[in-house]
This record gives sequence, C-alpha cells and structure tokens, in this order.
Amino acid sequence: MVSLERTTAPPRFRHLVATIPALCGLLGALIANIPISLLGGLVPAPLLALVPVYFWCLVRPDLMTPAVALLIGMAEDILSGGPPGIWTLAFVLTYALVARQRDSFAGLGGLAAVLGFAAAAAFACAVAYFAVAGFAFLTPGAHLPPVPPILGELAMTVLFYPPSTLAMGWLHHKLVGASRGDV
Amino acid sequence: MANAWKIARKSNAQLPLLIVIALAVVLVLLGKAQSGLFDRARAHATDLMAPLLQKVRAPVAGFDRWIGSIGEIFSVYEQNLKLKEENARLRQWRNVAIVLQGRVGRYQSLLHAVPDPQMNRVLARVIGRASRPFLQTMILDAGRGNQVLPGQAVMDARGMIGRIYLTGQRTSWVILLTDLNSRIPVTIAPRNVQAMMTGDNTANPVLNLVSHTVTLHAGDQVISSGDGGLLPAGLPVGTVLPDGAGGWRVALLADAAASQDVEILNFSKPPEAPPATAQLPAEAAGLKPQAPPPQATTAPVVAAPAKPKPAAVAPAAPAAAEPAEDR
Repeated sequence: MVSLERTTAPPRFRHLVATIPALCGLLGALIANIPISLLGGLVPAPLLALVPVYFWCLVRPDLMTPAVALLIGMAEDILSGGPPGIWTLAFVLTYALVARQRDSFAGLGGLAAVLGFAAAAAFACAVAYFAVAGFAFLTPGAHLPPVPPILGELAMTVLFYPPSTLAMGWLHHKLVGASRGDV
Repeated sequence: MANAWKIARKSNAQLPLLIVIALAVVLVLLGKAQSGLFDRARAHATDLMAPLLQKVRAPVAGFDRWIGSIGEIFSVYEQNLKLKEENARLRQWRNVAIVLQGRVGRYQSLLHAVPDPQMNRVLARVIGRASRPFLQTMILDAGRGNQVLPGQAVMDARGMIGRIYLTGQRTSWVILLTDLNSRIPVTIAPRNVQAMMTGDNTANPVLNLVSHTVTLHAGDQVISSGDGGLLPAGLPVGTVLPDGAGGWRVALLADAAASQDVEILNFSKPPEAPPATAQLPAEAAGLKPQAPPPQATTAPVVAAPAKPKPAAVAPAAPAAAEPAEDR
C-alpha cells in the first residue's frame, strides 16, 4: 500500500500538498454531514472522515498526525450535531490503534485491506457507542442508544471505503507522494 | 505507554499521542458540561450552509419522494379505497368536532374560564434532515431573526414533531420526538394519565407512566400535558401502542421524514406573579377583606392584613383566582 514514488508536486507547493490529508478528512466530514437524506433516513450517512484518517495514517503518518486526527474528529462532531467530543475521541483512539499496528494494516491488500479498515471502523463505532452508552447509563431515565443504527453506519462506512481509497490513492500518487523515509 | 510515545515520534507528531487522547477526553467532558461552545459552532456552520441547502432541497426532496414511492406503486388502488373510506369517516368526525368546539366555547364563557394563551406561529421550511446513530434532527430555515427560540414546539399538519434545541440567525435545529435525548411530559386521554414520553431512536417513543397502577388501552390519545410550562398543553402527539413486552409506546401522528413545511409555536407562558401577602388567603378566595383589628388588642396580628388595598378585591373573585391554576 505504501507508494514508492516520489512526490510530483513542485517544491514550492510542498506545504500546500502537506495539507491534503487534513483537507481530505475535513471534506469527508463536510460531505457526510450535509443534512440531506437521499433515502428518507433509512440508511445512515457513512463516516467518510474516518477513511482519510485511516488511509493517510498508513501511507503518510508524518502528514496525518494525532493533532490532525483530533481536528478532523472535532469537525465531525461539530457538523454531525451529535454529543460533543464523541467522534473526536473515537477518531483519536482509532488513530492510535492503526498507528500502533501500522505494519500489519499496511501489509493488507484486496479484500483483506477492506476487512482491515472494517476492523478499524468497528473500533471507532464501538468507542463512540460505549461513550454515549456510558453517559446514558449515568443519566437517570435515559435509554441506551440502539445498536442497529451504529451497525448501519459501520456498514455504510465500509461500503464507501473502496471508492474513497481510490480517490485518495490517486491524490497520493499524483500530488502527495511517499515520504522520504519510505522511498 | 512507551509504544504510544514511539508512534508519536515516528510520525513526527507535534503533539504526542497521549496528549491528544487526553485532549479528546477533556473535550468529551467539556462538551457534556458546556455544550454551548459546540452548539454555537454548529449554528454558525448551519447558517453558512443554509443557502446551499435551500438550493439543493427541491431536487433532493423530489428524488426522496420518488424513492419513497417505489414501494407504494403496487398498492395504489387499495390505498385509494382505504383513503376514501377514511375521508368519509373523518368528515363525520369533523362535524362532531365543530359542534363540540362550539359547546366548549359556550361552557368556557359561562364559567369565565381563562382563555387559552395566544401563540405566535412561524411557518418554516425543512431544509435538511439528519438521521445519525446518536441524533435524529431536522434543520429549518427560520432562526433567531424570526423570533425562533430553543424549546419551542414544532408541528406539522398532523401533530407534534419535536422541539427547537439550537438556533442560528437564519436556521434552527429540531430535536425530534424519536431522538434519544427527547423527553416531554404528556397526558393520555381519556383518563388524563400523566406520563413522560422519551425517545430511543426508534420510530415509536417509550411511555414512562408516572403512576404504575393505571391501565392504558391501545389507541388512547397522547397529547402534550404542558407541565413545566415549556410546551403548550393539548398538542396532538400520537396514540398509545403496546410494545409487546408489557410496556407502552407511542405511534406518532406526525411524519418527520416526510414533512416539508412545519409550524414553530412561539409559546411563552406569562410568568405567574405571586399574589401580595394582603390577598392571601381571604381575598384570593373571593371573600371580602376583614376590617383591621383594633390596635388596642394585645394579641399579635399575623393572619389579618393591616391595610388591604381596596382595588385588589375583584368582584368576580372566582375568575380572578383561576389563573393561578395550570390548566
């Protein structure tokens, strides 16, 4: 998964190119949270912002830093309208998991790569669910959040992973390139 | 622990991973304690997106309707017959309702009943919807600029949809009755059973009865009770539905997924002024104030007022005493 190409961007645009992973995450958060339901709310929106966090953490961890993951998580929180901070925590912890197992995740290809992302996304959804459930448990009279909607969101996120990865792979090869240490 | 630091160093992170994780935890706690920061950011973001949402609303709504109607194509004939029958029945009920409304008006007039509070209504258009695992909401194109405030009830033609919980200058967010965080006090007719209706992100909110000795029946009407003074009393909400496990849920009348135009009810119950000490308890009961006891008496004067204001004694005292009661 790690590219062996050098970046094709001119040196003067290097700083601009370095922001591409963060911009991908912010754009994903924005697109996924446009409050328009195409299917009458039957299908939840995917966590598009998680895909760049996972992808760039594997291929360019120097550009997808923990602080960038935090920023993308905050954008997801603000735009999604859910309980504040939940997705920030989920994204940062998922980042930590993926960064820790970077060699294992980066070595996957084909269907296994999708399953690898599915595992990371399941971890993010589980963190978010248990955080909300924890607060609900502490609130008198509150109900635990139902599980099917979060499973639906997980399924949609995994479904959108291959096309999103293709787009970011193109950006990686054409604009960002591999880090000096990977070449 | 050491691995986390190693990862942070490997990715040239400016902030070590552990610090970022700690920041995220702090953010969760801060968001729980002071959600106003996030809310303001959300309101600004929605205000910025409002023109775009208004433009894409029409084609998306058309597509949405088309997708939603695919399943109904095969049952158009049966639905038509059913609707005709229902329409005829509703026309009969309409006549009954008009007669009863007139009768209630006459009774209220005879009893000097306190009239229902006047409510301003703001008609708003739904420009966005979001159904997320932890939030079910819709976004309206009316905000603080239209005197829309958090807490106000949102209705469609059939019944209550939810409440405003966040307002921007031009937009507002509605927390749906089905949302996990929605709780409203309701009354179940005809026995006036009080209950709390709480959403759990399913289509049918849960009814938590205040008294566990009452029995409900499927189909009983659920209306807002007005307790707490946040919502007007008597807004139609839904009908009682057994959940199959001994509990009760509510089949909502409104269809939040299909509503395009909604009404925001600007209901603000005027604050109840505490009566003056001189008015209690005799004047509030409509009795004439007693003359002040003679000064020569040695007994301490506590209950009888020294100098009641004559203007405070209203001739129609029973009616004057009624506003103190929550109807």
